[in-house]
Amino acid sequence: MLDYTFQYGQIWPHLPRLLGGAVLSLELALLSFFGGLMLGTVGASILTFGGSAARKAVSAYVTFFTNTPQLVQIYFLYFALPDMGIILSSFTAVLLGMTLNAGAYLTEIQRAGFESRRQSEMEAAEVLGFSRGQQIRYVILPHVARVLFPPLSNQFILMTLGTSMAAVFGVEELTGQALNINSTTFRSLEIFSVTALIYIAITLMASALLAVAGSVLFRARMRIL
Amino acid sequence: MPRLVIAGLEACYGSLKVLDGIDLDVASGDVIGLIGPSGSGKSTILRSLVGLTPPTAGSVEIDGDNVDYKDAASVARLRDRLAIVFQQYNLFQNMSVLQNVMIAPTKIKKRPSAEVEEEARALLAKVGLGDKLDRYPDELSGGQQQRVAIARALALRPEILLLDEVTAALDPELVSEVLDTIRVLAREGMTMLIVSHEMGFIREVSREVVFMDAGRIVERGPPSRIFDAPTEPRTRDFVSKILRH
Ligand SMILES: Nc1ncnc2c1ncn2[C@@H]1O[C@H](COP(=O)(O)OP(=O)(O)O)[C@@H](O)[C@H]1O
Ligand SMILES: [Mg+2]
Repeated sequence: MLDYTFQYGQIWPHLPRLLGGAVLSLELALLSFFGGLMLGTVGASILTFGGSAARKAVSAYVTFFTNTPQLVQIYFLYFALPDMGIILSSFTAVLLGMTLNAGAYLTEIQRAGFESRRQSEMEAAEVLGFSRGQQIRYVILPHVARVLFPPLSNQFILMTLGTSMAAVFGVEELTGQALNINSTTFRSLEIFSVTALIYIAITLMASALLAVAGSVLFRARMRIL
Repeated sequence: MPRLVIAGLEACYGSLKVLDGIDLDVASGDVIGLIGPSGSGKSTILRSLVGLTPPTAGSVEIDGDNVDYKDAASVARLRDRLAIVFQQYNLFQNMSVLQNVMIAPTKIKKRPSAEVEEEARALLAKVGLGDKLDRYPDELSGGQQQRVAIARALALRPEILLLDEVTAALDPELVSEVLDTIRVLAREGMTMLIVSHEMGFIREVSREVVFMDAGRIVERGPPSRIFDAPTEPRTRDFVSKILRH
């Protein structure tokens, strides 16, 4: 048995700070996810339709960011860029690092979706006068959004949890706030158990919202899948 | 005056030459039936004309404009005037019936949406699908999907319609609804190049029937002559086989 008396009373006053941190975590996750989604769309378009030099450049980007630890990537941005005269706040460095990292993973995920495009629909679009960009926008992306909705949702949840890494750089998101409060109250078990519960609440809510969004957006198609 | 003049058309898949010197004139309001055994190159003619399988030799002219298949602008002009409907309909699965018909005129041609919608509704009513506007392709029968595909092609107001075995993928009981749609177009004077195995239909709607085999045109003439009194042995062979069942 754990010989420990939980004293949640001491940390209640700090709850607003934790919740404020949770909002920042969510902000970080949303911004880097949607930034990464756009990078991934461009990346997947280039891998599928680009010239060989452009394809190689995107492959190198994906290989680099999916084969090095995210922490190292952000350290690099945080410490190397100032040497080149680019000063980033820790929030910006983390956001940029997470976005670039997400862009690499989301390129890979979307490439699979691009590859599953229906060639016959592409030809029909081509003959109707669609440019390559219009084919991607009107034919491929809706298809990708539908078939990749579950893996993209998973990626978002993973990234939400991944934002806790920002604490290392002093960003006062949920984990960062937990560390702050811990250093003044020393009620570690209470603080981190509450923090964990907040993360669980966020991911459960996000999953539920995504599931509802998925069934609303793709209702007509879900029925036959 | 001929609208579409095809001369010496050749096309290849890799090193395989599948069209070898095709000459064809299609006049305004003409309906030409293209028949021949499977693999003879009928689909490839249509695909070449619209630039999906660009010709490797020969020339294509529409109303005196020579088409340069290496020039995107020239191909774009061509595709404004020529539309194709495929055997497998190839509808956009993520769009409703109405969206399928409206997307090219609104998003590609940038025509006002209200005007396009009115036209699209009229076209869909004409092909007998006025009550299916909000359905998705996978909720429709093959015959209905094919009629949507025809409406989608017509929405760009093409001058010439190319039809590639548009009933070949359909259950027998659905064939006639699609053929009826094409009959209406023929009566209205639509210029069409029709590939089909429905010989009765080809005979009925075509002004001229072209028989091809192994990438070449073997024989051409009015339907009655091609079907009743073909001169070439290969035509006779094909026609007798196909009319027997
Ligand atoms: N994508 C392709 N790649 C290679 N060969 C092809 C392709 N499509 C058709 N062919 C070949 O080209 C020839 C003509 O085919 P096609 O035009 O489809 O004939 P048809 O429509 O008369 O049945 C055939 O020998 C066929 O095998
Ligand atoms: Mg064919």
